[in-house]
Amino acid sequence: MKRDWCSCDGSGRAGTVTSRRALLAGAATAGVWWLGTRSALAQATIRKGGSDGNVLVVVFLRGGADGLNMVAPYGEDDYYRHRPSLGLKSPSSGVAAGKKLIDLDGFFGLNPGLAAFEGLYKEGSLAVIHAVGSGDVTHSHFEAMNTMERGWKNQQDTAGGGWLARHLNMTEGSGSPLRGVSIAPVLPDSLLGAVEAQAMVNVSEFRLNTQDEAMKAALGRLYANPGDDIARAGHDTLAVLKSLNGVDPRTYQSDGGANYPQTPVGEALSQVAFLIKRDIGLEVACIDAGGWDTHVTQGSTDGWMYGLLEDLSRSVAALMTDLGSLAQKTTVLIQTEFGRRVAENSGLGTDHGTGGCMFVLGAGVNGGKVYADWPGLVPDQLAGPGDLQTTTDYRAVLTDLLLRRLGNPDPRKVFPGYSGGGLGVVG
Amino acid sequence: MKLSRREAFVALGGATLLAGCNPVSGQMRKLEQTSLPAPTKADDEAVAVLNRFGFGPSPRDLEAVRKKGVDDWFESQLSPSDDEPAMLGYQLQRLDINSFGPWDLRDWKEEAIVEQLQQAAVLRAVYSPWQVRERLCDFWTNHFNIYARKGLAAYRKPMDEREVVRKNVLGKFPEMVRASAHSAAMLVYLDQQNSNANQANENYARELMELHTLGVHGGYTQEDVMEVARCFTGWSEERGFLQRKGAFVFLSDRHDNGEKTVLGHKIPAGGGVEDGEKVIQIVTEHPATSKYIASKMCRYFLGEEGSAHEDAVAEIYRETGGDIKAMMRSIFGAFKSSKNTVLKRPFDYVVSAMRATDAASTAGKGVLDHMASMGQALYLWPMPDGYPVDTTSWTGSMLARWNFALALTSGEIGGTSVNLKKLTANLDGSKAAQAVFVCDSSHPAIRRLSEIVAGFELPEQVALCLASPEFQWK
Repeated sequence: MKRDWCSCDGSGRAGTVTSRRALLAGAATAGVWWLGTRSALAQATIRKGGSDGNVLVVVFLRGGADGLNMVAPYGEDDYYRHRPSLGLKSPSSGVAAGKKLIDLDGFFGLNPGLAAFEGLYKEGSLAVIHAVGSGDVTHSHFEAMNTMERGWKNQQDTAGGGWLARHLNMTEGSGSPLRGVSIAPVLPDSLLGAVEAQAMVNVSEFRLNTQDEAMKAALGRLYANPGDDIARAGHDTLAVLKSLNGVDPRTYQSDGGANYPQTPVGEALSQVAFLIKRDIGLEVACIDAGGWDTHVTQGSTDGWMYGLLEDLSRSVAALMTDLGSLAQKTTVLIQTEFGRRVAENSGLGTDHGTGGCMFVLGAGVNGGKVYADWPGLVPDQLAGPGDLQTTTDYRAVLTDLLLRRLGNPDPRKVFPGYSGGGLGVVG
Repeated sequence: MKLSRREAFVALGGATLLAGCNPVSGQMRKLEQTSLPAPTKADDEAVAVLNRFGFGPSPRDLEAVRKKGVDDWFESQLSPSDDEPAMLGYQLQRLDINSFGPWDLRDWKEEAIVEQLQQAAVLRAVYSPWQVRERLCDFWTNHFNIYARKGLAAYRKPMDEREVVRKNVLGKFPEMVRASAHSAAMLVYLDQQNSNANQANENYARELMELHTLGVHGGYTQEDVMEVARCFTGWSEERGFLQRKGAFVFLSDRHDNGEKTVLGHKIPAGGGVEDGEKVIQIVTEHPATSKYIASKMCRYFLGEEGSAHEDAVAEIYRETGGDIKAMMRSIFGAFKSSKNTVLKRPFDYVVSAMRATDAASTAGKGVLDHMASMGQALYLWPMPDGYPVDTTSWTGSMLARWNFALALTSGEIGGTSVNLKKLTANLDGSKAAQAVFVCDSSHPAIRRLSEIVAGFELPEQVALCLASPEFQWK
């Protein structure tokens, strides 16, 4: 995995942050309780904008989710020619509901595994973006994920850090050390370089196993001088512990009858709900959903991928229910590194492809619509080894989110070299 | 079971046989904890070498390096034997995965297999005197990463660990690639076992080039991926055949017998299983592979400074046909004049803390759970690229590291104990810092730490030293 970066790229984390932080250590702040821990970056640079209480939840489907079977173009005959076994039956076919697509707009249909999204789409708060992707043509998971999470067109781009990190570092936001959280052992590439972000496997377990205040103070002294990445990580971790002090997720109960699946995705999203409700200054939460690299026996209206889709849609729907009125402030982005090959393979799976599919749902979404400049599935319309062409730059969707939900005054600074603007998915 | 020379040596040295030992064989089942001789400046080089090429100094291995000198010690490490200390041999023998194949494991629960795999890796890293071998096992296990929860990969991984990684860990790289290509665990993990002529599965073909050999910028194209995938059609595993289950099998009726072109080389029609063998030869002899492997090894052992040395190591790869020992000698030479530090991944951190405190441990769930909460549950990295080596990937693990340090020193980890009083019996002054860093007390970092930890009890002092930023680096 390529995670190099240059200290002079302005991404924030490497380079000059330390001295700024040291310079301003102890600067007096008052008001919101977490401001006592706010980063020196926030204090040292003139930053504007921020999410103003809105939260973006990013769910990254790792492995390259098959867009063509998440939202299938049943209106195109070639879909069935390419996928004699895996093709999902059209909404008008005679089979029972649950065994065929759910119609979206007369051309695209939703995989029945995503039935929990149907209501959101129909009420207009879920949008699908199709034939979307980056300029990556390597078909490598790692290159493609890295490209997208860095906010790049392809690996020739050089903007430092992750796209969410660049956004957080250029905006003021809540100032909390938990502006960005990843429910995972490590920060995703999208948050790499973010000064005010933290990875945690489990919020309940994010506590130091000693009650001894003298020991805590000694740790503070050990990490008083954030001179390198690890010393800085320790320093930040102590600040986060202070922020979470008195917050006990073990007592957390969901609201509104929300029923999270007992899966890693469901559990991660319930922790995100907890953090949003506790008002700790969260602006961006990232979670991963794994298992989408369906080279063999991916299934159609049952099986491997169907199970993943059910888990995904039920977990996200539970989050929105659980949040209640806070759902008015929360938008969810579901993305993946690439779509899969149009034709199924001999193992009843699909190989790595190019154009894929994204979902945006929740607050502010101009939904009930599939956004697609549809390239078609006739063989001469396919890209490379037989892939869906990418006709929409994924950064158009991210631009909408930055501008309309996260209060970023100038998304072009997050995506230097990208001039395509937004898509209007979010209003 | 025959007693190795080392075991005999330990026994003759007057080792105390602890409760629960077998009086007939006289084997030690538990580590006899020792006292660290006071470190001096002369130990600095030995400590640095053990940190980078092993899993940090333990009192015993420090003694071994002191006796031999770093150069002779390193050279002897390149020809390890199967002799292990009695205590380690005993514990490894109790782990069935060390001898079982997929058929023997058929009724096991996946978690039990994974736990034993993890346990064996930690035990070996903590207690084996063959530290360079264990260090390289970590490197190559990650290079040929297999996610044990993919399909039935867990049942095949113990065999892969023995036959692919451990067998070739100091051998020739192309042989390791060849062994991996025939490994049922890898074939299952990368969906190769069902690939056939109608439409070849590209997963293994792509990762073979992108991650195992050429590197993503190694000059192959999507066409090459598809051609390599055709070459490997029919490479699969035996299924129903009792003891043969999980063995390699070539299913000729699934093979694409047409002509192929791989990286400019024509592979004539009708080659059968030889097509795949030919691909392995082409990719392992490709100059991009020498560069990619050299660069990855240098990065792992030398950190950021590694890039300055990778051309020299790539040259050795080409001259010796990928001889890992020869490459390691060159990296070791470069290390002696290097100045930078490399971050300990959670596995390194846990093992080095156990070695520094001379912990007696079964390396069971108590230890493994801590490693998992730091984000490095061994054999459970889902993607085929292995656990990352860069520092920024691990900045979220600090709290879990601190909690491990607290638990280890306060005796809260099941099956694991330390005797810090005994460990530091020979030390004066800043006992904890000297013991943890195996460094004499005049060092500025030791002085800073000693000042911060002063006033705490010995276990808390050791915990703080293990939790310090300084101990996170090797």
